[in-house]
Amino acid sequence: MLEKAQTDMYHTDFAVSLNNVTKTFTQWQRDNTGRGLIRNLIKPEKQTITALDDVSFNVRKGEIVAYAGPNGAGKSTTMKLIGGMLLPNSGDISVLSLSPQRQRRKLMQHLGILFGNRTELWWDHPIIQSFEWKKVVWGISDELYKENLAMVTELLDIGNLLKTFARELSLGQRMKADLAMMLLHSPQVIILDEPTLGLDVVAKRQMIDFLKRINRENGVTIIVTSHDMDDLEEMAERIFMISAGKLAFDGSFNDLRSITGNLTRVVVTMEKDFVPKVEGGSLLSSSNGVFEYDVDLHKIPVRELLSQLSTATGVQDVEIRKAPIEQVIAQLYKDWNSGKN
Amino acid sequence: MGVKLASKLKRMLGLFAISAKMDLVWLLRDTKFAIAAIAADAISNLSVVSSVYLIALRFGGIGGLSVDEVLFMMAYSTITTGLFILFGSANNIHISRIIGRGQLEHLFMQPLSLKAQLLTCGFAPFTGSGNFIIGCILMVISINRLNIEFSFWWIASLIIYVLTTMVIIVARAYLVSSAAFYAPVAAEEITSTAIDGTWQLSTFPLSGMPSFIQLSLITILPEGFMAWFPSLCLLGKPPLNLSEYYPLAYALILSLLASYIFRKGLNYYVRKGSNRYVPYGFRR
Repeated sequence: MLEKAQTDMYHTDFAVSLNNVTKTFTQWQRDNTGRGLIRNLIKPEKQTITALDDVSFNVRKGEIVAYAGPNGAGKSTTMKLIGGMLLPNSGDISVLSLSPQRQRRKLMQHLGILFGNRTELWWDHPIIQSFEWKKVVWGISDELYKENLAMVTELLDIGNLLKTFARELSLGQRMKADLAMMLLHSPQVIILDEPTLGLDVVAKRQMIDFLKRINRENGVTIIVTSHDMDDLEEMAERIFMISAGKLAFDGSFNDLRSITGNLTRVVVTMEKDFVPKVEGGSLLSSSNGVFEYDVDLHKIPVRELLSQLSTATGVQDVEIRKAPIEQVIAQLYKDWNSGKN
Repeated sequence: MGVKLASKLKRMLGLFAISAKMDLVWLLRDTKFAIAAIAADAISNLSVVSSVYLIALRFGGIGGLSVDEVLFMMAYSTITTGLFILFGSANNIHISRIIGRGQLEHLFMQPLSLKAQLLTCGFAPFTGSGNFIIGCILMVISINRLNIEFSFWWIASLIIYVLTTMVIIVARAYLVSSAAFYAPVAAEEITSTAIDGTWQLSTFPLSGMPSFIQLSLITILPEGFMAWFPSLCLLGKPPLNLSEYYPLAYALILSLLASYIFRKGLNYYVRKGSNRYVPYGFRR
């Protein structure tokens, strides 16, 4: 039986597959007038929200995939569907060839879920006690537990936190402890919903490095959502973007940049009293002779841009770099809201 | 088959053991505070029991029950309250709190059935056994005073009735808690209201009440099963000319109804989800 289950589980290259998944919710609506209150008693007004509309995607084993979208786009709903916490209205979901809805218990032995705003730690116990609790509940063998405990303690640098009560931890420490606890059963797929929420630069750095390392060394598949696009770009090579319940983009971050017109930042340092002329670019800032422009390289080819700057007098230095991904995404959200694409 | 059952049993015992260990280390983290909490619990319960017992002493019994029979009923009530605290320390009986606060998702993340989690997660033998022990002591005293003939069958009956009362408490809690699937904020504390009401009436001997009240409290509401009806059955005088199996039938029907309604609510929850999430009260 066990052998059969394991064979079933490994027969595909996909860690996560969603096929034509639709998920709708009903929201109650009511205005604030007396008439609205009475109408609500007789015939309550309801609105159907389509959180996911016929969404399909596959995530290969060993991939890190970023999952992004504006507020209310359906990111957390997708995470909960993958984690078997919600049922789809239609469509199929498969995680490691298991159905999250029908084989939840078996799946949870191989899946790790972390919501940035929630904790699995026992509040009034030392961290190590929560870890021991997990060992029993997940039925983790002594050998695997020791091995994973040593690994997470070293990589996440939490040795000095193990005896500390969860209630005494800072947010960053708590997130590290939660992440460590999630990994104790060696999950093959992990789902992270806003894992860097509220973390400072150092804690964020450590978490990103750690996730990349377990992905590289242990082949763990990671699906991560965040509103911090720079974090996502640093972690993942592939990004899914969801908008109004539809999968609006599936590709690399470079592809994402190109669909918004190859936005580029050009920083020109000038000698005193000189101002550069960058035709077609929009000036973002200028200070102490340093001028920063937004340029769309689809509209102004880089050769033309350099030729403009090479003939200008007073140019000391030119730096061309990719626009921050935040700006690309913001442009994309704006386009989606205005009905483009 | 046998191996599978043994493995399941071992797993369940392991889960009870880890809950017990979490309880013990929690007790030992601040022993003074924990002892104070246990003592307060026991004193509060003894006060409830004493008030009725003192009235019985003053008037030589209540509603046709002798003082010792009242004491027996008090002991029964204390045992069931004790079991409630012993197995329900993680809001697993006050389930409307878990549902209303959107905390069921924590349970979905565990590789266990919901039943196994809810049965084992609230086991607190070190901080929650005070009432149960006091109840057992009171039971031994009352049995001695009543000169009850001790037999295997009588002990088995006592255990069956206590379990029946527990089934009724849990079934009722889960039945009313199902409202929290549909109205998480309004119904978050609905089990407290239901269970508190149950405790308040559970220690009162209903024998002196008009029969329509007695009947109401063993049909529409289950308060009569908390101590009064089963105690009288154990004393060999089932009230209202009803069969001594009536509590068992009531528990069966109520638990089937609760199971049906709760499953329906759970189905609604996994279809609709919960936008509400409140972290407090989950895992102490």
